[in-house]
Amino acid sequence: MYLAIEVHDIEKRYRTWRNRKGFCALDGVTLEVPRGVAFGLLGPNGAGKTTFIKVLLTVVRPQRGRVRVLGGDPEDPRIRARIGYLPERLDLPAHFTPVTFLASVSRLKHVLPVRDSILRLIHRVGLANDSGRKIGGFSKGMKQRLGLAAALIGQPDLLVLDEPTDGVDPMGRIEIRNLLSAELARGCTVFLNSHLLAETERVCSQVGIISAGRIVRQGSLAELCRAEGRWRVSFAPGADRERLAAAGFRAVGKEFLFAGDDLLALNRALDTARAAGAVIAEVRPDEKDLEQVMSEALTPAPVSLASPGASA
Amino acid sequence: MTVLSIAADLWRQAFARKWFLVLGAAVTLFLIGIALTLRLDVVDGALSGLRLFGRPTTVEITAVDVALRPIFKAAAIVIYYPFTLFLIALCAEFAPSLLAPGRIEHMLSLPVRRWELVLGTYLGVVGLSALFSLYGAGGLCLILGAKTGVLTLRPVFAALLGTVSFAAVYSAMVAAAVLARSATSSAGVGIALYFAGVLAGYRTSLASMIRAGLPRQAFEAVTSLLPRISALGTVASDIAGGRAVSTAHVAGLIVGFLAFAAAVLAAAVWGFERKDF
Repeated sequence: MYLAIEVHDIEKRYRTWRNRKGFCALDGVTLEVPRGVAFGLLGPNGAGKTTFIKVLLTVVRPQRGRVRVLGGDPEDPRIRARIGYLPERLDLPAHFTPVTFLASVSRLKHVLPVRDSILRLIHRVGLANDSGRKIGGFSKGMKQRLGLAAALIGQPDLLVLDEPTDGVDPMGRIEIRNLLSAELARGCTVFLNSHLLAETERVCSQVGIISAGRIVRQGSLAELCRAEGRWRVSFAPGADRERLAAAGFRAVGKEFLFAGDDLLALNRALDTARAAGAVIAEVRPDEKDLEQVMSEALTPAPVSLASPGASA
Repeated sequence: MTVLSIAADLWRQAFARKWFLVLGAAVTLFLIGIALTLRLDVVDGALSGLRLFGRPTTVEITAVDVALRPIFKAAAIVIYYPFTLFLIALCAEFAPSLLAPGRIEHMLSLPVRRWELVLGTYLGVVGLSALFSLYGAGGLCLILGAKTGVLTLRPVFAALLGTVSFAAVYSAMVAAAVLARSATSSAGVGIALYFAGVLAGYRTSLASMIRAGLPRQAFEAVTSLLPRISALGTVASDIAGGRAVSTAHVAGLIVGFLAFAAAVLAAAVWGFERKDF
Protein backbone atom coordinates (compact mmCIF):
# COMPACT_ATOMS: atom_id res chain seq x y z
CA MET A 1 0.00 0.00 0.00
CA TYR A 2 1.41 3.42 -0.98
CA LEU A 3 1.20 5.80 1.91
CA ALA A 4 0.84 9.54 1.68
CA ILE A 5 1.49 10.05 5.38
CA GLU A 6 3.41 7.75 7.73
CA VAL A 7 3.79 8.98 11.26
CA HIS A 8 5.27 6.74 13.91
CA ASP A 9 5.35 7.37 17.64
CA ILE A 10 5.50 11.15 17.47
CA GLU A 11 5.91 13.14 20.62
CA LYS A 12 5.76 16.90 20.69
CA ARG A 13 6.11 18.85 23.90
CA TYR A 14 5.92 22.64 24.01
CA ARG A 15 8.43 23.78 26.57
CA THR A 16 9.04 27.22 27.98
CA TRP A 17 11.91 28.62 30.01
CA ARG A 18 9.79 28.44 33.12
CA ASN A 19 8.19 25.08 32.46
CA ARG A 20 10.89 22.72 31.24
CA LYS A 21 8.57 19.72 31.34
CA GLY A 22 6.18 21.55 29.08
CA PHE A 23 2.81 20.76 27.63
CA CYS A 24 2.50 17.54 25.69
CA ALA A 25 0.61 18.28 22.46
CA LEU A 26 1.30 14.94 20.76
CA ASP A 27 1.91 11.85 22.85
CA GLY A 28 3.13 8.90 20.79
CA VAL A 29 0.92 9.45 17.76
CA THR A 30 1.10 6.79 15.06
CA LEU A 31 -0.95 7.23 11.90
CA GLU A 32 -0.90 6.02 8.33
CA VAL A 33 -2.86 7.62 5.51
CA PRO A 34 -2.96 5.81 2.16
CA ARG A 35 -2.49 7.77 -1.04
CA GLY A 36 -5.53 8.98 -2.91
CA VAL A 37 -7.96 9.04 0.01
CA ALA A 38 -9.59 11.85 1.93
CA PHE A 39 -8.65 11.58 5.58
CA GLY A 40 -10.32 13.64 8.29
CA LEU A 41 -8.65 14.34 11.62
CA LEU A 42 -11.19 15.10 14.33
CA GLY A 43 -10.89 16.05 17.93
CA PRO A 44 -11.79 18.62 20.54
CA ASN A 45 -10.01 21.97 20.89
CA GLY A 46 -6.45 21.54 22.07
CA ALA A 47 -6.36 17.85 21.17
CA GLY A 48 -3.27 18.30 18.97
CA LYS A 49 -4.81 18.45 15.48
CA THR A 50 -3.04 21.60 14.32
CA THR A 51 0.24 20.53 15.93
CA PHE A 52 -0.01 17.25 14.05
CA ILE A 53 -0.48 19.09 10.76
CA LYS A 54 2.43 21.39 11.56
CA VAL A 55 4.63 18.38 12.25
CA LEU A 56 3.78 17.04 8.78
CA LEU A 57 5.00 20.31 7.28
CA THR A 58 8.07 20.80 9.52
CA VAL A 59 6.60 24.01 10.92
CA VAL A 60 6.92 22.25 14.26
CA ARG A 61 9.65 19.69 14.98
CA PRO A 62 8.78 16.74 17.24
CA GLN A 63 11.10 15.61 20.03
CA ARG A 64 10.57 11.95 19.15
CA GLY A 65 9.24 9.80 16.34
CA ARG A 66 9.43 9.41 12.58
CA VAL A 67 7.53 11.36 9.93
CA ARG A 68 7.39 10.50 6.24
CA VAL A 69 5.21 12.33 3.76
CA LEU A 70 4.74 11.19 0.15
CA GLY A 71 7.48 8.62 0.70
CA GLY A 72 10.11 11.12 1.81
CA ASP A 73 11.29 13.40 4.56
CA PRO A 74 9.15 16.56 4.72
CA GLU A 75 12.33 18.51 5.59
CA ASP A 76 13.23 18.01 1.91
CA PRO A 77 11.92 21.01 -0.07
CA ARG A 78 11.23 18.70 -3.04
CA ILE A 79 8.71 16.84 -0.88
CA ARG A 80 7.12 20.05 0.38
CA ALA A 81 6.82 21.24 -3.23
CA ARG A 82 4.30 18.41 -3.69
CA ILE A 83 2.17 19.47 -0.73
CA GLY A 84 -0.51 22.14 -0.73
CA TYR A 85 -1.29 23.60 2.69
CA LEU A 86 -4.04 25.85 3.95
CA PRO A 87 -3.36 26.98 7.53
CA GLU A 88 -6.09 27.53 10.07
CA ARG A 89 -5.37 31.22 10.58
CA LEU A 90 -4.18 32.55 7.26
CA ASP A 91 -2.44 35.91 7.22
CA LEU A 92 -1.97 37.12 3.68
CA PRO A 93 0.04 40.13 2.50
CA ALA A 94 -2.59 42.89 2.58
CA HIS A 95 -1.02 44.98 -0.18
CA PHE A 96 -1.00 42.15 -2.71
CA THR A 97 -3.79 41.33 -5.13
CA PRO A 98 -4.77 37.65 -5.55
CA VAL A 99 -2.82 37.57 -8.81
CA THR A 100 0.41 38.91 -7.29
CA PHE A 101 0.03 36.67 -4.23
CA LEU A 102 -0.49 33.52 -6.27
CA ALA A 103 2.36 34.49 -8.61
CA SER A 104 4.60 34.84 -5.56
CA VAL A 105 3.58 31.42 -4.19
CA SER A 106 4.12 29.93 -7.67
CA ARG A 107 7.67 31.25 -7.80
CA LEU A 108 8.42 29.88 -4.33
CA LYS A 109 6.97 26.52 -5.39
CA HIS A 110 9.17 26.63 -8.50
CA VAL A 111 6.09 26.71 -10.73
CA LEU A 112 6.15 29.15 -13.65
CA PRO A 113 3.71 31.93 -12.68
CA VAL A 114 1.64 31.95 -15.88
CA ARG A 115 -1.08 34.61 -15.62
CA ASP A 116 -3.71 32.50 -17.40
CA SER A 117 -3.30 29.54 -15.08
CA ILE A 118 -3.36 31.85 -12.05
CA LEU A 119 -6.58 33.45 -13.28
CA ARG A 120 -8.06 29.98 -13.87
CA LEU A 121 -7.21 29.06 -10.29
CA ILE A 122 -8.77 32.27 -8.97
CA HIS A 123 -11.89 31.50 -10.99
CA ARG A 124 -11.91 27.96 -9.64
CA VAL A 125 -12.11 29.13 -6.03
CA GLY A 126 -14.82 31.66 -6.85
CA LEU A 127 -12.82 34.89 -6.70
CA ALA A 128 -12.94 35.78 -10.41
CA ASN A 129 -14.58 39.15 -9.72
CA ASP A 130 -12.01 40.09 -7.09
CA SER A 131 -8.77 39.19 -8.86
CA GLY A 132 -7.67 42.84 -9.06
CA ARG A 133 -8.60 43.86 -5.52
CA LYS A 134 -6.11 44.16 -2.69
CA ILE A 135 -6.25 41.23 -0.27
CA GLY A 136 -6.41 43.62 2.71
CA GLY A 137 -10.06 44.30 1.85
CA PHE A 138 -11.04 40.63 1.67
CA SER A 139 -13.41 38.94 4.11
CA LYS A 140 -12.26 35.88 6.07
CA GLY A 141 -14.07 33.54 3.69
CA MET A 142 -12.46 35.18 0.66
CA LYS A 143 -9.05 34.81 2.25
CA GLN A 144 -9.78 31.13 2.86
CA ARG A 145 -10.68 30.69 -0.79
CA LEU A 146 -7.48 32.42 -1.85
CA GLY A 147 -5.47 30.29 0.57
CA LEU A 148 -7.04 27.24 -1.01
CA ALA A 149 -6.03 28.51 -4.45
CA ALA A 150 -2.47 28.89 -3.17
CA ALA A 151 -2.56 25.32 -1.85
CA LEU A 152 -3.67 24.07 -5.26
CA ILE A 153 -0.73 25.63 -7.12
CA GLY A 154 1.39 23.04 -8.90
CA GLN A 155 -1.23 20.27 -8.67
CA PRO A 156 -0.04 18.91 -5.32
CA ASP A 157 -0.07 15.20 -4.48
CA LEU A 158 -1.18 15.96 -0.93
CA LEU A 159 -3.53 18.68 0.24
CA VAL A 160 -3.35 19.48 3.95
CA LEU A 161 -6.27 21.67 4.91
CA ASP A 162 -6.77 23.06 8.40
CA GLU A 163 -10.38 24.23 8.75
CA PRO A 164 -10.75 25.04 5.04
CA THR A 165 -14.34 26.25 5.21
CA ASP A 166 -13.95 28.41 8.31
CA GLY A 167 -15.76 31.67 7.54
CA VAL A 168 -16.95 30.46 4.14
CA ASP A 169 -20.65 30.85 3.27
CA PRO A 170 -22.81 27.72 2.67
CA MET A 171 -22.61 28.00 -1.12
CA GLY A 172 -18.86 28.43 -0.85
CA ARG A 173 -18.67 25.28 1.25
CA ILE A 174 -20.41 23.33 -1.49
CA GLU A 175 -18.00 24.79 -4.06
CA ILE A 176 -15.00 23.85 -1.91
CA ARG A 177 -16.39 20.36 -1.42
CA ASN A 178 -16.77 19.96 -5.17
CA LEU A 179 -13.26 21.24 -5.66
CA LEU A 180 -11.90 18.71 -3.17
CA SER A 181 -13.84 15.95 -4.92
CA ALA A 182 -12.20 16.97 -8.20
CA GLU A 183 -8.78 16.89 -6.55
CA LEU A 184 -9.50 13.43 -5.14
CA ALA A 185 -10.57 12.25 -8.57
CA ARG A 186 -7.23 13.52 -9.91
CA GLY A 187 -5.47 11.21 -7.42
CA CYS A 188 -4.59 13.78 -4.79
CA THR A 189 -4.65 12.80 -1.12
CA VAL A 190 -6.66 15.15 1.08
CA PHE A 191 -5.87 15.51 4.77
CA LEU A 192 -8.63 17.52 6.37
CA ASN A 193 -8.80 18.98 9.81
CA SER A 194 -12.25 20.35 10.49
CA HIS A 195 -14.56 20.98 13.40
CA LEU A 196 -17.50 20.54 11.07
CA LEU A 197 -18.37 16.87 11.41
CA ALA A 198 -20.94 16.95 8.62
CA GLU A 199 -18.34 18.35 6.29
CA THR A 200 -15.80 15.70 7.26
CA GLU A 201 -18.46 13.02 6.80
CA ARG A 202 -19.24 14.27 3.30
CA VAL A 203 -15.65 14.62 2.12
CA CYS A 204 -13.64 11.97 3.94
CA SER A 205 -13.61 8.22 3.54
CA GLN A 206 -11.20 7.70 6.45
CA VAL A 207 -11.20 9.32 9.82
CA GLY A 208 -8.92 9.58 12.84
CA ILE A 209 -9.96 10.94 16.22
CA ILE A 210 -7.34 12.58 18.35
CA SER A 211 -7.72 13.43 22.00
CA ALA A 212 -5.13 14.76 24.44
CA GLY A 213 -2.40 14.17 21.88
CA ARG A 214 -3.30 10.55 21.20
CA ILE A 215 -5.15 8.88 18.34
CA VAL A 216 -8.10 7.19 20.03
CA ARG A 217 -9.94 5.93 16.93
CA GLN A 218 -8.89 5.43 13.35
CA GLY A 219 -10.40 3.70 10.36
CA SER A 220 -12.73 3.99 7.44
CA LEU A 221 -15.87 6.00 7.98
CA ALA A 222 -17.99 2.91 7.29
CA GLU A 223 -16.12 0.91 9.93
CA LEU A 224 -16.30 3.58 12.58
CA CYS A 225 -19.96 4.37 12.01
CA ARG A 226 -21.16 0.79 11.91
CA ALA A 227 -23.05 -0.24 15.05
CA GLU A 228 -22.33 -3.90 15.62
CA GLY A 229 -25.38 -6.14 15.20
CA ARG A 230 -28.17 -3.59 15.12
CA TRP A 231 -30.85 -2.86 12.57
CA ARG A 232 -33.08 0.14 12.23
CA VAL A 233 -36.61 -0.63 11.01
CA SER A 234 -39.39 1.75 9.96
CA PHE A 235 -42.99 0.59 9.91
CA ALA A 236 -45.94 2.29 8.24
CA PRO A 237 -48.16 4.19 10.71
CA GLY A 238 -50.67 2.07 12.62
CA ALA A 239 -48.35 -0.76 13.68
CA ASP A 240 -49.10 -2.24 17.08
CA ARG A 241 -46.16 -1.16 19.27
CA GLU A 242 -46.75 -3.78 21.94
CA ARG A 243 -46.74 -6.66 19.47
CA LEU A 244 -43.65 -5.19 17.79
CA ALA A 245 -41.93 -5.03 21.17
CA ALA A 246 -42.88 -8.64 21.76
CA ALA A 247 -41.24 -9.51 18.41
CA GLY A 248 -37.98 -7.89 19.57
CA PHE A 249 -38.27 -4.36 18.20
CA ARG A 250 -37.37 -1.52 20.56
CA ALA A 251 -39.00 1.81 19.76
CA VAL A 252 -36.61 4.75 19.24
CA GLY A 253 -38.70 7.76 18.26
CA LYS A 254 -40.64 6.87 15.15
CA GLU A 255 -38.28 4.04 14.30
CA PHE A 256 -37.49 0.67 15.87
CA LEU A 257 -34.19 -1.00 16.67
CA PHE A 258 -33.60 -4.73 16.35
CA ALA A 259 -30.54 -6.03 18.15
CA GLY A 260 -28.81 -9.08 16.73
CA ASP A 261 -26.29 -10.16 14.09
CA ASP A 262 -28.28 -13.12 12.91
CA LEU A 263 -30.12 -12.31 9.67
CA LEU A 264 -32.45 -15.28 10.14
CA ALA A 265 -33.47 -13.93 13.54
CA LEU A 266 -34.15 -10.53 11.95
CA ASN A 267 -36.29 -12.12 9.25
CA ARG A 268 -38.22 -14.16 11.78
CA ALA A 269 -38.90 -10.99 13.80
CA LEU A 270 -40.01 -9.17 10.65
CA ASP A 271 -42.33 -12.09 9.77
CA THR A 272 -43.82 -11.91 13.26
CA ALA A 273 -44.32 -8.14 12.86
CA ARG A 274 -45.98 -8.59 9.46
CA ALA A 275 -48.16 -11.32 10.87
CA ALA A 276 -49.23 -8.76 13.49
CA GLY A 277 -50.33 -6.40 10.71
CA ALA A 278 -47.26 -4.15 10.56
CA VAL A 279 -46.20 -2.87 7.14
CA ILE A 280 -42.44 -2.57 6.69
CA ALA A 281 -41.29 0.74 5.18
CA GLU A 282 -37.52 0.40 5.53
CA VAL A 283 -34.88 -1.90 7.00
CA ARG A 284 -31.26 -0.75 7.22
CA PRO A 285 -28.16 -1.43 9.31
CA ASP A 286 -28.06 0.95 12.24
CA GLU A 287 -25.19 3.38 11.61
CA LYS A 288 -23.92 5.99 13.98
CA ASP A 289 -23.14 9.47 12.72
CA LEU A 290 -19.71 10.99 13.31
CA GLU A 291 -20.99 12.98 16.23
CA GLN A 292 -21.89 9.77 18.04
CA VAL A 293 -18.61 8.13 17.06
CA MET A 294 -16.66 11.09 18.34
CA SER A 295 -18.71 11.37 21.48
CA GLU A 296 -18.13 7.69 22.25
CA ALA A 297 -14.42 7.97 21.49
CA LEU A 298 -13.97 10.98 23.73
CA THR A 299 -16.09 9.80 26.64
CA PRO A 300 -13.82 8.22 29.23
CA ALA A 301 -14.65 4.64 30.09
CA PRO A 302 -16.33 4.32 33.49
CA VAL A 303 -13.86 3.38 36.19
CA SER A 304 -14.85 0.30 38.09
CA LEU A 305 -14.61 0.94 41.82
CA ALA A 306 -14.39 -2.73 42.60
CA SER A 307 -11.83 -3.86 40.09
CA PRO A 308 -10.66 -7.44 40.56
CA GLY A 309 -7.08 -6.47 41.27
CA ALA A 310 -7.94 -3.79 43.78
CA SER A 311 -7.01 -4.50 47.32
CA ALA A 312 -9.04 -3.23 50.19
CA MET B 1 17.13 31.67 -6.55
CA THR B 2 14.58 31.24 -3.75
CA VAL B 3 16.41 33.90 -1.74
CA LEU B 4 16.02 36.34 -4.63
CA SER B 5 12.31 35.45 -5.01
CA ILE B 6 11.75 36.24 -1.33
CA ALA B 7 13.69 39.50 -1.65
CA ALA B 8 11.73 40.43 -4.79
CA ASP B 9 8.42 39.75 -3.01
CA LEU B 10 9.53 41.99 -0.19
CA TRP B 11 10.21 44.76 -2.72
CA ARG B 12 6.76 44.26 -4.21
CA GLN B 13 5.24 44.61 -0.76
CA ALA B 14 7.36 47.65 0.02
CA PHE B 15 6.38 49.48 -3.16
CA ALA B 16 2.72 48.78 -2.44
CA ARG B 17 3.02 50.54 0.94
CA LYS B 18 2.33 54.23 1.10
CA TRP B 19 5.29 55.06 3.34
CA PHE B 20 7.73 53.79 0.77
CA LEU B 21 5.91 55.67 -1.97
CA VAL B 22 6.10 58.80 0.20
CA LEU B 23 9.84 58.23 0.69
CA GLY B 24 10.39 57.74 -3.05
CA ALA B 25 8.28 60.81 -3.82
CA ALA B 26 10.16 62.90 -1.22
CA VAL B 27 13.58 61.99 -2.65
CA THR B 28 12.30 62.64 -6.18
CA LEU B 29 10.82 66.02 -5.19
CA PHE B 30 14.09 66.98 -3.52
CA LEU B 31 16.03 66.12 -6.68
CA ILE B 32 13.54 67.95 -8.92
CA GLY B 33 13.70 70.94 -6.58
CA ILE B 34 17.50 71.01 -6.81
CA ALA B 35 17.35 70.60 -10.57
CA LEU B 36 14.85 73.45 -11.05
CA THR B 37 15.85 75.98 -8.43
CA LEU B 38 19.64 75.75 -8.26
CA ARG B 39 21.61 77.59 -10.89
CA LEU B 40 25.40 77.36 -10.93
CA ASP B 41 27.49 79.66 -13.10
CA VAL B 42 30.67 77.92 -14.10
CA VAL B 43 33.44 79.66 -16.00
CA ASP B 44 36.53 77.72 -17.01
CA GLY B 45 35.90 75.05 -14.36
CA ALA B 46 35.41 77.60 -11.59
CA LEU B 47 32.20 78.47 -9.81
CA SER B 48 31.55 82.16 -10.33
CA GLY B 49 27.94 82.46 -9.23
CA LEU B 50 25.16 80.55 -7.50
CA ARG B 51 21.42 81.20 -7.55
CA LEU B 52 18.95 79.35 -5.36
CA PHE B 53 15.27 80.04 -6.06
CA GLY B 54 16.47 82.85 -8.34
CA ARG B 55 18.32 84.67 -5.54
CA PRO B 56 21.99 85.30 -6.19
CA THR B 57 24.30 84.12 -3.43
CA THR B 58 27.76 85.56 -2.98
CA VAL B 59 30.42 82.96 -3.62
CA GLU B 60 34.14 83.14 -3.80
CA ILE B 61 35.41 82.08 -7.16
CA THR B 62 36.65 78.56 -6.57
CA ALA B 63 37.14 75.38 -8.56
CA VAL B 64 33.79 73.65 -9.01
CA ASP B 65 34.88 70.36 -7.47
CA VAL B 66 36.08 72.21 -4.39
CA ALA B 67 32.91 74.32 -4.19
CA LEU B 68 30.70 71.25 -4.35
CA ARG B 69 32.47 69.42 -1.54
CA PRO B 70 30.40 70.88 1.34
CA ILE B 71 27.20 70.07 -0.55
CA PHE B 72 28.25 66.47 -1.08
CA LYS B 73 29.45 66.21 2.50
CA ALA B 74 26.12 67.47 3.80
CA ALA B 75 24.27 65.05 1.52
CA ALA B 76 26.43 62.15 2.80
CA ILE B 77 25.72 63.08 6.43
CA VAL B 78 21.97 63.31 5.76
CA ILE B 79 21.97 59.92 4.03
CA TYR B 80 24.17 58.33 6.67
CA TYR B 81 22.47 59.51 9.86
CA PRO B 82 18.82 60.70 9.73
CA PHE B 83 17.97 58.73 6.62
CA THR B 84 19.31 55.51 8.18
CA LEU B 85 17.29 56.16 11.34
CA PHE B 86 14.20 56.72 9.20
CA LEU B 87 14.87 53.44 7.38
CA ILE B 88 15.19 51.60 10.70
CA ALA B 89 11.71 52.76 11.67
CA LEU B 90 10.31 52.14 8.19
CA CYS B 91 11.70 48.62 7.75
CA ALA B 92 11.07 47.37 11.29
CA GLU B 93 7.82 45.72 10.27
CA PHE B 94 9.04 43.51 7.43
CA ALA B 95 10.61 40.62 9.35
CA PRO B 96 7.94 40.46 12.10
CA SER B 97 5.14 40.54 9.50
CA LEU B 98 6.74 37.61 7.69
CA LEU B 99 6.88 35.75 10.98
CA ALA B 100 3.28 36.59 11.90
CA PRO B 101 1.01 33.67 12.86
CA GLY B 102 -0.78 32.44 9.77
CA ARG B 103 1.93 33.77 7.44
CA ILE B 104 4.98 31.91 8.68
CA GLU B 105 3.21 28.51 8.72
CA HIS B 106 2.30 29.04 5.10
CA MET B 107 5.81 30.15 4.15
CA LEU B 108 7.44 27.21 5.93
CA SER B 109 5.11 24.75 4.21
CA LEU B 110 6.45 25.92 0.85
CA PRO B 111 9.64 24.43 -0.57
CA VAL B 112 11.69 27.14 1.10
CA ARG B 113 14.49 26.49 3.57
CA ARG B 114 14.40 28.48 6.76
CA TRP B 115 17.75 30.15 6.17
CA GLU B 116 16.56 31.20 2.72
CA LEU B 117 13.61 32.96 4.33
CA VAL B 118 15.83 34.88 6.74
CA LEU B 119 18.46 35.72 4.14
CA GLY B 120 15.87 36.71 1.50
CA THR B 121 14.15 39.08 3.93
CA TYR B 122 17.48 40.53 5.03
CA LEU B 123 18.80 41.06 1.51
CA GLY B 124 15.47 42.48 0.35
CA VAL B 125 15.47 45.16 3.06
CA VAL B 126 19.18 45.98 2.70
CA GLY B 127 18.61 46.17 -1.07
CA LEU B 128 15.78 48.66 -0.50
CA SER B 129 18.07 50.77 1.65
CA ALA B 130 20.75 50.69 -1.06
CA LEU B 131 18.19 51.59 -3.73
CA PHE B 132 16.92 54.69 -1.94
CA SER B 133 20.40 55.83 -0.88
CA LEU B 134 21.82 55.38 -4.36
CA TYR B 135 18.79 57.02 -5.94
CA GLY B 136 19.23 60.12 -3.76
CA ALA B 137 23.02 60.33 -3.95
CA GLY B 138 23.24 59.27 -7.60
CA GLY B 139 20.52 61.73 -8.60
CA LEU B 140 22.31 64.56 -6.80
CA CYS B 141 25.60 63.66 -8.52
CA LEU B 142 23.95 63.60 -11.95
CA ILE B 143 22.11 66.89 -11.47
CA LEU B 144 25.14 68.75 -10.15
CA GLY B 145 27.29 67.04 -12.76
CA ALA B 146 24.98 68.26 -15.52
CA LYS B 147 24.95 71.79 -14.09
CA THR B 148 28.70 72.08 -13.56
CA GLY B 149 30.21 69.58 -15.96
CA VAL B 150 32.05 67.92 -13.08
CA LEU B 151 30.84 64.40 -12.44
CA THR B 152 31.95 62.70 -9.25
CA LEU B 153 30.80 59.44 -7.67
CA ARG B 154 32.07 60.28 -4.19
CA PRO B 155 28.55 60.82 -2.74
CA VAL B 156 27.51 57.47 -4.21
CA PHE B 157 30.35 55.73 -2.38
CA ALA B 158 29.35 57.58 0.78
CA ALA B 159 25.76 56.39 0.31
CA LEU B 160 27.00 52.81 -0.11
CA LEU B 161 28.79 53.12 3.22
CA GLY B 162 25.45 54.21 4.68
CA THR B 163 23.97 50.97 3.35
CA VAL B 164 26.82 48.98 4.93
CA SER B 165 26.00 50.64 8.24
CA PHE B 166 22.28 49.90 7.85
CA ALA B 167 23.11 46.29 6.91
CA ALA B 168 24.81 45.78 10.28
CA VAL B 169 21.93 47.35 12.18
CA TYR B 170 19.28 45.45 10.25
CA SER B 171 20.92 42.08 10.99
CA ALA B 172 20.27 42.75 14.69
CA MET B 173 16.71 43.81 13.86
CA VAL B 174 16.11 40.49 12.09
CA ALA B 175 17.51 38.60 15.07
CA ALA B 176 15.20 40.54 17.39
CA ALA B 177 12.24 39.78 15.14
CA VAL B 178 13.05 36.06 15.17
CA LEU B 179 13.21 36.16 18.94
CA ALA B 180 10.17 38.31 19.67
CA ARG B 181 8.12 38.58 16.42
CA SER B 182 7.41 42.24 17.20
CA ALA B 183 8.00 45.32 15.04
CA THR B 184 8.43 47.44 18.16
CA SER B 185 11.17 45.15 19.52
CA SER B 186 12.83 45.06 16.13
CA ALA B 187 12.81 48.86 15.81
CA GLY B 188 13.90 49.24 19.44
CA VAL B 189 16.89 46.97 18.96
CA GLY B 190 17.76 48.76 15.71
CA ILE B 191 17.67 52.22 17.27
CA ALA B 192 19.54 51.08 20.38
CA LEU B 193 22.27 49.46 18.28
CA TYR B 194 22.45 52.52 16.06
CA PHE B 195 23.14 54.87 18.98
CA ALA B 196 25.41 52.33 20.67
CA GLY B 197 27.29 52.12 17.38
CA VAL B 198 27.63 55.90 17.28
CA LEU B 199 29.17 55.77 20.77
CA ALA B 200 31.37 52.84 19.76
CA GLY B 201 32.87 55.03 17.04
CA TYR B 202 34.19 57.31 19.77
CA ARG B 203 35.14 54.47 22.10
CA THR B 204 38.77 55.49 22.51
CA SER B 205 38.01 59.06 23.54
CA LEU B 206 35.00 58.00 25.62
CA ALA B 207 36.99 55.28 27.40
CA SER B 208 39.43 57.86 28.67
CA MET B 209 36.53 59.59 30.43
CA ILE B 210 35.55 56.41 32.28
CA ARG B 211 37.21 55.42 35.56
CA ALA B 212 40.13 53.10 34.94
CA GLY B 213 39.68 49.50 35.94
CA LEU B 214 36.69 47.24 35.50
CA PRO B 215 34.18 49.88 34.24
CA ARG B 216 36.54 51.02 31.50
CA GLN B 217 37.43 47.45 30.56
CA ALA B 218 33.74 46.54 30.42
CA PHE B 219 33.01 49.56 28.21
CA GLU B 220 35.88 48.69 25.91
CA ALA B 221 34.87 45.03 25.77
CA VAL B 222 31.24 45.81 24.91
CA THR B 223 31.99 48.51 22.34
CA SER B 224 34.64 46.36 20.68
CA LEU B 225 31.84 44.03 19.57
CA LEU B 226 29.67 46.78 18.13
CA PRO B 227 29.83 48.23 14.62
CA ARG B 228 31.48 51.66 14.86
CA ILE B 229 28.75 53.58 13.12
CA SER B 230 30.11 57.07 13.72
CA ALA B 231 33.59 56.02 12.56
CA LEU B 232 32.17 54.83 9.23
CA GLY B 233 29.98 57.94 9.10
CA THR B 234 33.06 60.13 9.38
CA VAL B 235 34.71 58.15 6.59
CA ALA B 236 31.56 58.53 4.45
CA SER B 237 31.43 62.29 4.89
CA ASP B 238 35.17 62.55 4.27
CA ILE B 239 34.87 60.61 1.02
CA ALA B 240 31.92 62.75 -0.09
CA GLY B 241 33.79 65.90 0.94
CA GLY B 242 36.81 64.98 -1.10
CA ARG B 243 39.17 64.32 1.79
CA ALA B 244 41.72 61.57 1.43
CA VAL B 245 40.96 58.47 3.48
CA SER B 246 43.07 55.44 4.14
CA THR B 247 41.85 52.54 2.01
CA ALA B 248 43.00 50.07 4.65
CA HIS B 249 41.01 51.93 7.32
CA VAL B 250 37.85 51.95 5.17
CA ALA B 251 38.29 48.30 4.23
CA GLY B 252 38.84 47.36 7.86
CA LEU B 253 35.65 49.14 8.92
CA ILE B 254 33.61 47.58 6.12
CA VAL B 255 34.91 44.09 6.92
CA GLY B 256 34.07 44.69 10.58
CA PHE B 257 30.52 45.78 9.76
CA LEU B 258 29.96 42.85 7.42
CA ALA B 259 31.44 40.39 9.93
CA PHE B 260 29.09 41.75 12.60
CA ALA B 261 26.12 41.43 10.23
CA ALA B 262 27.10 37.89 9.21
CA ALA B 263 27.59 36.76 12.81
CA VAL B 264 24.28 38.20 14.02
CA LEU B 265 22.44 36.86 10.98
CA ALA B 266 23.95 33.40 11.57
CA ALA B 267 22.70 33.55 15.16
CA ALA B 268 19.26 34.60 13.88
CA VAL B 269 19.19 31.66 11.45
CA TRP B 270 20.32 29.31 14.22
CA GLY B 271 17.47 30.50 16.43
CA PHE B 272 14.98 30.39 13.57
CA GLU B 273 15.92 26.80 12.68
CA ARG B 274 15.08 25.70 16.21
CA LYS B 275 11.86 27.63 16.58
CA ASP B 276 8.38 26.15 16.38
CA PHE B 277 5.57 28.20 14.90
